[in-house]
Amino acid sequence: MLKAPFDPVQLAIPFFILAIVLEILLGRFGKARAHYEVRDTATSLTMGLGSTIAGALFGGVIFATTVWVYQHRLFTIPMNAVWAWIAVFLLEDLTYYWFHRLAHERRVWWASHVNHHTSTHYNLSTALRQTWTGGVAGTWLLWLPLSFLGFPPAMVAIQKGISLVYQFWIHTEAIKRMPGWFEAVFNTPSHHRVHHARNARYLDANYAGILIIWDRMFGTFIPEVDEEPCRYGTVKNLGNFNLLHNVFHEWIGIAKDVAGSPRHALGYIFGPPGWSPDGSRDTSHTLKAKWRARVGADSTDQRI
Amino acid sequence: MDKALLIQLGGSAAGIAVLVGFTAWMGVARPTPPLDAESARALLALEFPDQRPDRVWISADGAAVIARDGDAALVLYRRGDGYVARDLPWSAIASLKPINGRVRPRLSDARPVLAVKDDVWPPREFA
Repeated sequence: MLKAPFDPVQLAIPFFILAIVLEILLGRFGKARAHYEVRDTATSLTMGLGSTIAGALFGGVIFATTVWVYQHRLFTIPMNAVWAWIAVFLLEDLTYYWFHRLAHERRVWWASHVNHHTSTHYNLSTALRQTWTGGVAGTWLLWLPLSFLGFPPAMVAIQKGISLVYQFWIHTEAIKRMPGWFEAVFNTPSHHRVHHARNARYLDANYAGILIIWDRMFGTFIPEVDEEPCRYGTVKNLGNFNLLHNVFHEWIGIAKDVAGSPRHALGYIFGPPGWSPDGSRDTSHTLKAKWRARVGADSTDQRI
Repeated sequence: MDKALLIQLGGSAAGIAVLVGFTAWMGVARPTPPLDAESARALLALEFPDQRPDRVWISADGAAVIARDGDAALVLYRRGDGYVARDLPWSAIASLKPINGRVRPRLSDARPVLAVKDDVWPPREFA
């Protein structure tokens, strides 16, 4: 099957809205930790709508490419086999981990993904603050190997949707910790708060989609510690609520840097966010090093 | 454009407006009381942990802070229910001209409005 018979994200929209309303009410009546700022919320929700439109505009190219790759597949994997769904669940989640890691560690993909991190709040509306430029950035290419292996495009699309729906509920401060076994295996609000934090201690961590095991396996897991509450947003928070600035600021930053010094274009485009030829700007790596120097922490400590 | 798509977009936009209105009605933003000396110092330490500003000015409405650390000016201003931090050369701050009790430093992506008492600039904290 090529085209998915349903889209889990579209089906989940009423649940998204109800959950946001519930979180606001819980925050309002002091039953849970939840803060919503009006312009921040408007930006998040509008980003979500814009992302859907951008996705529809670029969807044809992605679909056509995926189908073409599937036509040249290695195997034919049945869509009605349980083992195939287990396999696509694991492989899609692993793909998501690497997509997400690249999206944080290479500036050209960060330019597309940074929008999701510009909110200084961490609530369910933040989950909907999605990119408009993912199609242009080409991160969708990372999912093509699944179709090349032989997973039907519809199966991959459904699994991607399930992953996105899963990731909605973890964007909250209302849930402190899940049971230990769940925290060990799955991505949770606690793990993902760390991912959205701008504290030096927490930078570049917890890239998981559904399973946190990938971070544990690849050494990017950092637990949330009570003595250092997460502060949300980007290292350098945006100075305004302008929607277009939110969407394009990092792309514009790359363009300015490349125009100013074309011979360093590769570094500016594919280097880590903050890379500069003379090292005068901060990257996650330098920020963490400074933090370690300040606190005198042992850099081998997993908790940092 | 497809009529169904237009209806869907219109409905989504209306839904967003309702949800944003509901957020405003509920009033669940973080409390941001005016900054005082202690909270301003704490915020500076959090945002500029490697710098040790010796002089600190708090805007008349308590919504912004400027601190001086040698040739650098450390600026904090309220945006929504949080604060934005920027550093810039001290000369860019020293040359500001207050107009109607306001100064507006030019930052890379904003021109925040900072309330100044008595139109005096630089304030006595930086004299």
